[in-house]
Amino acid sequence: MEPRSVRRVWLLTLCGTVIWLAAIVLAPWLAGRGAGGAARFLYAVFAPVCHQIADRCFVLSGHPLAVCGRCLGVYAGFAAGLVIYPFVRGFSRLALPSARVFLLMIFPMALDAVAGILGIWGSPIGIRFATGFAWGTILPFYFVVGVSDFISARKSRAVARALARTATKKVE
Amino acid sequence: MDKQKPEYFRPALIAGAIAGFLSGFPFFGLFNCVCCLWIVGGGAVAVKLLSKSTPGILSSSDGAVVGALTGIVASVVHTVLSLAFKPDIETARRVLDWLSGMGVESPSNVESMLESGSAFRSPGWILLGLFVTAAVYAVMGGLGGVIGVSLFAKKAAPPIQPPPPPPATPTPTPPGPADAV
Repeated sequence: MEPRSVRRVWLLTLCGTVIWLAAIVLAPWLAGRGAGGAARFLYAVFAPVCHQIADRCFVLSGHPLAVCGRCLGVYAGFAAGLVIYPFVRGFSRLALPSARVFLLMIFPMALDAVAGILGIWGSPIGIRFATGFAWGTILPFYFVVGVSDFISARKSRAVARALARTATKKVE
Repeated sequence: MDKQKPEYFRPALIAGAIAGFLSGFPFFGLFNCVCCLWIVGGGAVAVKLLSKSTPGILSSSDGAVVGALTGIVASVVHTVLSLAFKPDIETARRVLDWLSGMGVESPSNVESMLESGSAFRSPGWILLGLFVTAAVYAVMGGLGGVIGVSLFAKKAAPPIQPPPPPPATPTPTPPGPADAV
């Protein structure tokens, strides 16, 4: 896998994440400025992926963000993970995190969420954000590797097909 | 080296149907608040199924593809189930009218909630919702697939070491100055 290709995947993912985060903040900002139609559209875009319960969302301009505190933490953590990715992994090798690291990062959020759903405790929004953030941080280390490997596999298949076609033509 | 392409569709269909059902079903769907738990889990389960049916070693790319397909299948099942389980707006309005006739005061924002609820039930919003859900679930499922590869996929066998060379027959060496020490 070429480092340049991995860098491109990383850069595109970073751009996509920034746009995604901006849209989350834009919804209440637009609602606060009276642009109800555009705000409603953005809230609707995020509705299928988050419950959007107002009590569990951070507030901006008097309106809740388009996703809850935990989801915001996951997305913000994803962005943070992307920022540190080049320093931790670099672009010259593709390696997945170990199962131990995976369990370590998911455990706080899983514990907090399951306990909340079962009614054992109701954690404040800050805790939800923090546990989501921790989990989100590890996700780019899977995402960038998966997408880069997918692109690399497609390229290899295309080259193999082209070689086979050339060989067939030569035989003919 | 060109390895054979694994059969992605069957594991994606099975895992996607289960993940979509759990996401769209009341109460169980709440667990999706944990970073799309069912969808990420569905992607990982699809990899487990794929690794059972594939003799070779799965790559991250295989995990991403089967996970993304799982997410897309799950989004369709989830949308259909969500529509089936959403309360009927007209019935809710009639219940509210009946309650207000009985003198029970309903919360101030109920009317606006019902209005927005009915707006989101139009075919346009449903299609937009399906598109967004499919896109996000494909990403989350793809992530789950790559996580599944790191957790479940068969690991590459260590390279076979060549057998050690047979021990050379000792040849008598003439005593040198070092032997004298």
